[in-house]
Amino acid sequence: MHFALLLGFGANAICPHTALSTIRELAESDTLEERLLPGEAVDKYVTAVKKGLLKTFSRMGISTLRSFLGSQIFEAVGLGKPLVEKYFTNTASRIGGIGLSGIAAESVARHRRAFPPDGHLRNADRLLDVGGVYQVRVGGERHLWTPEAIWKLQAATRLDDYGIFKEYAALINDQSQAHATLRSLFAFRKGTPVPIDEVEPVEAILPRFVTAAMSFGSISKETHETIAVAMNRIGGRSNSGEGGEDPERTIPLPNGDSRRSRIRQVASGRFGVTTEYLVNADELQIKMAQGAKPGEGGQLPGHKVSPEIARIRHTTPYVTLISPPPHHDIYSIEDLAQLIYDLKSANPRANVSVKLVSEVGVGTIAAGVAKAKADLVLISGHDGGTGASPLTSIKHTGLPWELGLAETQQALIFNRLRDRIRVQVDGQLKTGRDLAIAALMGAEEFGCGTTVLVTLGCIMMRKCHLNTCPVGVATQDPVLRARFGGAAEYVVRFFRFMAQDLREQMAELGFRTVDEMVGRVDRIETKTAVDHWKAKGLDFSAVLLPPGNAGNSPLHRVRPQEHEVHKALDYEIMALARNALDRKEPVRIELPVRNVHRTVGAALSGEITRRYGAQGLSDDTIHLDLYGSAGQSFGAFLAPGVTMHVHGDANDYLGKGMSGGRIVVTPPEGATFLPHKNVVVGNVVLYGATGGEAYFHGIAGERFAVRNSGGRAVVEGVGDHGCEYMTGGVVVVLGGTGNNFAAGMSGGRAYVYDETELFDTRCNLDMVDVESVWQEEDVRLLRSMIENHFRYTGSQRAAQLLENWESRLPLFVKVMPIEYRKSLERMRMEEEMNTESVSATEEVYRG
Amino acid sequence: MAKPTGFMEYDREEPAHRPVSERVGDYREIEELLSGEGIHRQAARCMDCGIPYCHAYGCPVKNRIPDWNDMVYRGNWRKALDLLHSTCNLPEITGRVCPAPCEPACTLSINLPAVTIRHIELQIVERGWSEGWIRPEPAGFSTGKRVAVIGSGPSGLPAAQQLARRGHEVVVFEKSDRIGGLLRYGIPDFKLEKWVIDRRLDQMRGEGVVFETNVNAGVDVSEAYLRRSFDAVVLAAGATAARDLPVPGRELAGVHFAMEFLTQQNRRNAGDAIPEGEEISAAGKHVVVIGGGDTGSDCIGTSRRQGAASITQIELLPKPPEERLPSNPWPTWPAILRTSSSQEEGCERMWSVQTKEFLGEQGGVRKLSCVKLDWTEPDAAGRRSFKEIPGSAFELRADLVLLAMGFVHVEHGPLVRDLGVATDNRGNLVADGNCMTNVPGVFGAGDSVMGASLVVRAINLGRLAAEGVNRYLSGR
Repeated sequence: MHFALLLGFGANAICPHTALSTIRELAESDTLEERLLPGEAVDKYVTAVKKGLLKTFSRMGISTLRSFLGSQIFEAVGLGKPLVEKYFTNTASRIGGIGLSGIAAESVARHRRAFPPDGHLRNADRLLDVGGVYQVRVGGERHLWTPEAIWKLQAATRLDDYGIFKEYAALINDQSQAHATLRSLFAFRKGTPVPIDEVEPVEAILPRFVTAAMSFGSISKETHETIAVAMNRIGGRSNSGEGGEDPERTIPLPNGDSRRSRIRQVASGRFGVTTEYLVNADELQIKMAQGAKPGEGGQLPGHKVSPEIARIRHTTPYVTLISPPPHHDIYSIEDLAQLIYDLKSANPRANVSVKLVSEVGVGTIAAGVAKAKADLVLISGHDGGTGASPLTSIKHTGLPWELGLAETQQALIFNRLRDRIRVQVDGQLKTGRDLAIAALMGAEEFGCGTTVLVTLGCIMMRKCHLNTCPVGVATQDPVLRARFGGAAEYVVRFFRFMAQDLREQMAELGFRTVDEMVGRVDRIETKTAVDHWKAKGLDFSAVLLPPGNAGNSPLHRVRPQEHEVHKALDYEIMALARNALDRKEPVRIELPVRNVHRTVGAALSGEITRRYGAQGLSDDTIHLDLYGSAGQSFGAFLAPGVTMHVHGDANDYLGKGMSGGRIVVTPPEGATFLPHKNVVVGNVVLYGATGGEAYFHGIAGERFAVRNSGGRAVVEGVGDHGCEYMTGGVVVVLGGTGNNFAAGMSGGRAYVYDETELFDTRCNLDMVDVESVWQEEDVRLLRSMIENHFRYTGSQRAAQLLENWESRLPLFVKVMPIEYRKSLERMRMEEEMNTESVSATEEVYRG
Repeated sequence: MAKPTGFMEYDREEPAHRPVSERVGDYREIEELLSGEGIHRQAARCMDCGIPYCHAYGCPVKNRIPDWNDMVYRGNWRKALDLLHSTCNLPEITGRVCPAPCEPACTLSINLPAVTIRHIELQIVERGWSEGWIRPEPAGFSTGKRVAVIGSGPSGLPAAQQLARRGHEVVVFEKSDRIGGLLRYGIPDFKLEKWVIDRRLDQMRGEGVVFETNVNAGVDVSEAYLRRSFDAVVLAAGATAARDLPVPGRELAGVHFAMEFLTQQNRRNAGDAIPEGEEISAAGKHVVVIGGGDTGSDCIGTSRRQGAASITQIELLPKPPEERLPSNPWPTWPAILRTSSSQEEGCERMWSVQTKEFLGEQGGVRKLSCVKLDWTEPDAAGRRSFKEIPGSAFELRADLVLLAMGFVHVEHGPLVRDLGVATDNRGNLVADGNCMTNVPGVFGAGDSVMGASLVVRAINLGRLAAEGVNRYLSGR
């Protein structure tokens, strides 16, 4: 981070001399974990710094050091205007803060510790500071969670004792007074209190609560399902996170409880995002970033990817899963609008929400999100969860939700968009006071993550990434999972206590409903800010600016978005396909298609899946022949039983999230060009597909089959980054590829017709092996897919290959992810051992 | 972190105790050290928690437990020792006698046995002593300020050492003939052999601390002298006023305070002769210990070694549960039934028993008249009350009765009176955030401020008082 900061503000070279001499000394005194020569240790440090920098660049979407130099992609919190203007010119610093004298005072204090004014260094001062940045140490960095707060919250929810909850809240709020958060600097401006009986009841507040997106995979099945049950009991919403969801969970339990996550997340990895997943949601959340680690995708280390998790995510057991930082179908706000439309098409009954992180400019993005017709926008703060974030992200990325929420509220009101979108906030909301401040600043819904885990037994081990959570919350180890001691009642009580605590604040402030309260920033004051020497220069006036509100527009959502999904071509198709939908009778439909027809097939697929579940209809029940240029997201979330044949060409995002069925794209009849030399489909085709098959008589654009985890496709050539991040499925390329083929590919396989024998120069070999196609299984699969390609498209290229099979086969190469191969072998071994004895299997699991 | 999966691979292993049959024949320490491999495995069980409750909640001196567990696991004993000493002046004492509130606060103890933290602490410091790493650390400069520390127990010693290391001239006044206070005379040798204290005192002398024994401050040296000769005074005299049981027959011979009994045995072990007629012995006697705490246990172990005919321990409170109650969750100190090593050596234990009267013959106690109690469930404030069970009166045979019912507060003797320091309604000294009493320059430390408590809390308050004195003397 320090290096990134220096480079970002223009440094061309850095000499970290103290770090280097410390490392030398550690190596010389042999106190490093590994025995190294001083030179080696320094080399390793430099390598680590370089890797860290690359990672930082990539999170910011920057590819080269040159672009990063002087980019100033930082926001300052707590630095005064004059200081920033002079030394960090044009850097955002929204609440002001200290100047040079403040920086000097801190430096002098540090210096005094090492060099006391009287010249005598005490023995006690010879030890380094206790630190405690990541693990709590008394006398070190302040943490919001203290041991007392944790056990009191757990005791309160276990014993159903609101009195203990108030003690917990007092501990948290008291810490807030110790200036650990921006909201700790706020005070309420008194109003005329109302009797608490006149405040809306706990039950009216509960639906405003959601739980943060925590995937099944990051947390255990027990934890994930307990949260869902609890949220369904209180009428709130739990969030699947980005790991898919077992379809079984939509079936209510005998006692009436439901384990279904009402919110289902659609993140960059698209893990487990099937049509069935979408149609069973009440809310579909597009995660643009995570508050605690903006710019990064999730990562699930291989040892947490149990066979069950792999099944639900449509990936391979024990293979590490990486969510790419960006959504490959979102490069602009229009793309986001497109995805919102796609999701809304697949499930018109669900609200679509967009999760953003608190950062400067989030207001503009939120306004865009509102215009893109999202129903809800979530502003996620930096001090929110994710116990397993990289250390640099925990410490140095993200911003307080207070800043992002304020900007969002102001921008939405200014653009007269606030009336049509709900605003939700999360990031360590722990008490009624936190909720009250969030509401006053403009939030009408509240998300809790860590606190919910704590009520279920989490004790902030920060070991989520190691799979060793000793309380069974964030682990997949069956032995540790058995120690899970949580129960849905605890979570229910927690939210009831939170609502009650909020009600008490409301009564005090004189609000009868949360709606009345939302956006009333005028009821917050900041005079306590001056009590601390470092807080003296802070100025919250911009953050707490009451909205200009010329049009007297509402401060919270009062009307729904106008989505207009029902005007789509799909509704015409569904009318024509009634016999198929109602009676499963085969139908054949011919229609012209134009590029203004977006997301053709998604609504139809949603309808099929709602009626018939994931298995859909039998193959080719609905056969569509569409003539012309198909618009974006053609065949998105396609369900089994539908064949869509475009005679013409198709745009970007074709087959996005495809779950079954068949897509065929051929050039228009009578075209005079050579298909295998011309582009027939756009970029990012089959993104996140989990099933189905596709045949393209022509070349596809870039990022073909990115994050594919189950779809099978044949194409006659692809652009750059083909098969990126793929985790499953099969891709056959009957022609050239662009560069960086198979980057981040951890599963599935690809076969490439490598006529020029240059493929290995274009393939990213970090994670895959390139080998010849000789095993019978491979040969059979490849040949059958090419035969299918010929059958559906009439491709001459396919015909020629099949005619000269023996001579052409040696020119094919197979791209095989290394980890995937290992995993397949492991599973095969497990299967063999399963037949022998159970204990042997255990050994493999642990291996 | 030591080893991520250590806690899943290794079980807790307790350090061995010498067999009962052997140990009751002597007064030597009963606990043995785990082997090198054993201690390595125990350290490996530490999980390096995000919030280490052992350190941040359980331990009064905030020992950096996860850090030194890791160092022990990696064999960095020297670093571990320095770190341990940075928070605790007497780890060889706490490593032996601390009830280790860190351990029930250990995250593992939510659903598994805790890390053996106390024993790891002991091994770190004993390694330090045997390697010769523990040497005087004199300040190397002098502030020219003089501090008197009254009392040389677990609070006075750390206060004195911390102050000496800050360059102050420190004189410790002890009214007894040897330094150590409660550590010296209150704790039996089978838990803490006294050379352990001497070793540390040598280090402190090397750091310039002056020890004055047989000086009862306020009597042998006046309050005026102390004020005149010292820039600050630390009252660390403990809470030695024992709680009495004023029932009929209390004056009978054979009814003693536990401390009288324990002190005498410690003197005997140290080679002192006990004057004829003052001897308190359990040999061949039926002993009743009143009070179920640690002091009571010490009386049991000592009586057993002296050859008591029978030992019965009675406690007013009801028998605690075997497991934590829901209202007493992790990581709070568990109010559960424990069996001390002394109780394990053999005694009868009774709960919910109140003593109504001591019955005697020829001026000596022979029996206790007792009654059984019925306790109510705790009320909203956690208080419970009792009533006698009608018809439950019974008698207990007793030739020797030892009162181990706790201590009420610091002795309100001439010193406290002459200094004019204020006491609260429980009789403890009142001290501010700097540990200073209402009298400028006079500080309170340890049990004299908080009432009788753990050694480790006394150490903590001793250290805090030293910090307060230091701030006061350096004018900050």
